[in-house]
Amino acid sequence: MNCLIFGYGYMGKIRHQALKQHPDVRRIAVFDPAVDPPADQDGLFLPADQEIPWDQFDAVFVCTPNNVTTDLCVEALRKCGRVFCEKPPGRNWEDFCRIAETARKTPGHVLVFGFNHRLHPSVQAAKSLIGKEGLGEVLYVKGTYGKSGGLKYRESWRNKPEISGGGILLDQGIHMLHLFAYFLGKLQVAESLLTDSFWGCGVEDNAFVLLRSQQGVPAFLHSSATLWKHTFRLEIGCRDGYLIASGLLSRTGSYGREQLVIGRRQFEDEAMALGNPREEIVHFDRDDSWELEVKEFLTAIREGRAALHGTLEDAQHAMELVRDAYALSRQPTPAARRD
Amino acid sequence: MRSIQTQFTFPLSSVKPLERLSQYRAYCLEATRNVCRKGVHRRELSPASGAKLEAAGEIAGLPYSRCPATGSLFLSELPDPAEWATLLSHVCGYRRSPEGFHRELAQSRAENVYVPKLEWIQQTLQLQGLSRPKVLEAATPPSDLAPLLLQSGLFSDVESADEMDLAHSANARETNGLGSVEAAVLLESLDRVDDPVALLNAVEGRLAPGGLLFVTALVCSGFDAEALGWKNLYLYPPDRTNFFSLGGLRLLLERAGFSLIEVSTPGVLDLEIFEAHLRMDPDLSLSPFEKRILESDPETRRAFQSFLQERGLSSFARIVAKKPRGASE
Repeated sequence: MNCLIFGYGYMGKIRHQALKQHPDVRRIAVFDPAVDPPADQDGLFLPADQEIPWDQFDAVFVCTPNNVTTDLCVEALRKCGRVFCEKPPGRNWEDFCRIAETARKTPGHVLVFGFNHRLHPSVQAAKSLIGKEGLGEVLYVKGTYGKSGGLKYRESWRNKPEISGGGILLDQGIHMLHLFAYFLGKLQVAESLLTDSFWGCGVEDNAFVLLRSQQGVPAFLHSSATLWKHTFRLEIGCRDGYLIASGLLSRTGSYGREQLVIGRRQFEDEAMALGNPREEIVHFDRDDSWELEVKEFLTAIREGRAALHGTLEDAQHAMELVRDAYALSRQPTPAARRD
Repeated sequence: MRSIQTQFTFPLSSVKPLERLSQYRAYCLEATRNVCRKGVHRRELSPASGAKLEAAGEIAGLPYSRCPATGSLFLSELPDPAEWATLLSHVCGYRRSPEGFHRELAQSRAENVYVPKLEWIQQTLQLQGLSRPKVLEAATPPSDLAPLLLQSGLFSDVESADEMDLAHSANARETNGLGSVEAAVLLESLDRVDDPVALLNAVEGRLAPGGLLFVTALVCSGFDAEALGWKNLYLYPPDRTNFFSLGGLRLLLERAGFSLIEVSTPGVLDLEIFEAHLRMDPDLSLSPFEKRILESDPETRRAFQSFLQERGLSSFARIVAKKPRGASE
């Protein structure tokens, strides 16, 4: 298979690595006029001043800033038909609808969106432990996902509203919304509060979103760009116990060691101290989520079927929730004064 | 790959009290010496790494060798397999006799040794999406675990095999018409058998592609084992004929063609074992650090044991390995 990657930033490089490991991939090319081709990547980059040779490629990866995602996705769907698009699927609901409409008009297309978090080992393990055979039905879900920003935070395209379309909720929180739906099915936004309390970029740096599933199960998201300690934490309360997935096996390791805490409900008749049940902690030292995501996309292409995850429906639901959270929230509050 | 920490705790006295072990240990050592008098062969290569074994020390006159690559310890001389099988059967019978300590601890051992293992197996099957597999358990018969495996309802069928028969079956890598299983359990079997490589090969031969192997073992790289060294009263043949390090155990399984799903040391007894040895031998030399840890408050001890678990430094090891489905897995 010949694969073309649009954009060679953080995500483009990750996809490049995953594609290099895939046995079916024969050729990888990159198109990114904003990047000077590295000396050690001879032949990887397509010339920036020439037309894209669409007919040479079997699959396209769109790993660009949000403001060009939609146009590229639409063009790639029309000219190639097999597209992997990083999240978020556009800057806003309207952008997403353009992609969705093009997909509907493209018979036999394969379209996957990059929601890799559900393939993280702690999340997969949590999923297998809920329900009838495990810890019982879910009572609530609570997710915290955040980062600290950093000195170049304001300069990043991710925080320029005209490029990104939104703040931390659209950038990172969308992953957690996708996970909520993975565990609870379709959700509705009940309440939302977004603030621009520190960075003052004109997009939210904190989002508090309260949701409920169709069965009435509540979920709560705190998405933040002011978590000075990088955090990923997904709590799932069940009838017979609880699960806490935390940490991510990221490149820098700043989110901590990926682990899943498994606690079983114990009352006084089973435990020494009420409210302090025995826990097991499963540590994970390998994250195959990027590879699995790419593998599923390429397998779907090879087998001529729709992909099993990161689907148009997954993306649509995540974008609906983001749209509704923005709509429900008041205007971002002014940035706090910084010393 | 994953590793697991647990807060499940139980006292040493409920599973293998050191004070009650002395008589059984002496019996094992004597029985091993007797069987070795009939003739032995020397083990030259490490079952873990294949490296040439080096002389290491001895336990009550029985020499042990060390694997230079992994630090694992192995009884240096072994009789023929039939004699070894008889010895294992013999000491197993003694362990369960009124003179042994297992009979009166049967209930607490079931609760603290076997039930947590069943939970571990159940959880792993769930995580791996394996529903009601057929399971093979290898042990020195009669197995204490097999009835619990049957009662659990987790398996479509439970087959219990003599670990020595399995290791030395004529065509160990063939299924011999017995059919394949989707799971296999070896609770400290690799510690006991004369040829752990042969046992693993036999189990690998019986496992269906994608099948899971559950292994427990005591490891010499754990805290109490490292600290006690040759004074470790839990180090004796035939129960600890092979005293793998955690790295040695991993290598053994990988060399047998397995991929590792979980490597954990969820031991809860390291400090207590150390302490029990100190009670039996007050002259046992301790480093200032070891002394400080043993004298520390319960919370510090819990935290230390938790650290040992988390970092693979406890002396009880638990591994889940998978037989790959194909070359690419």
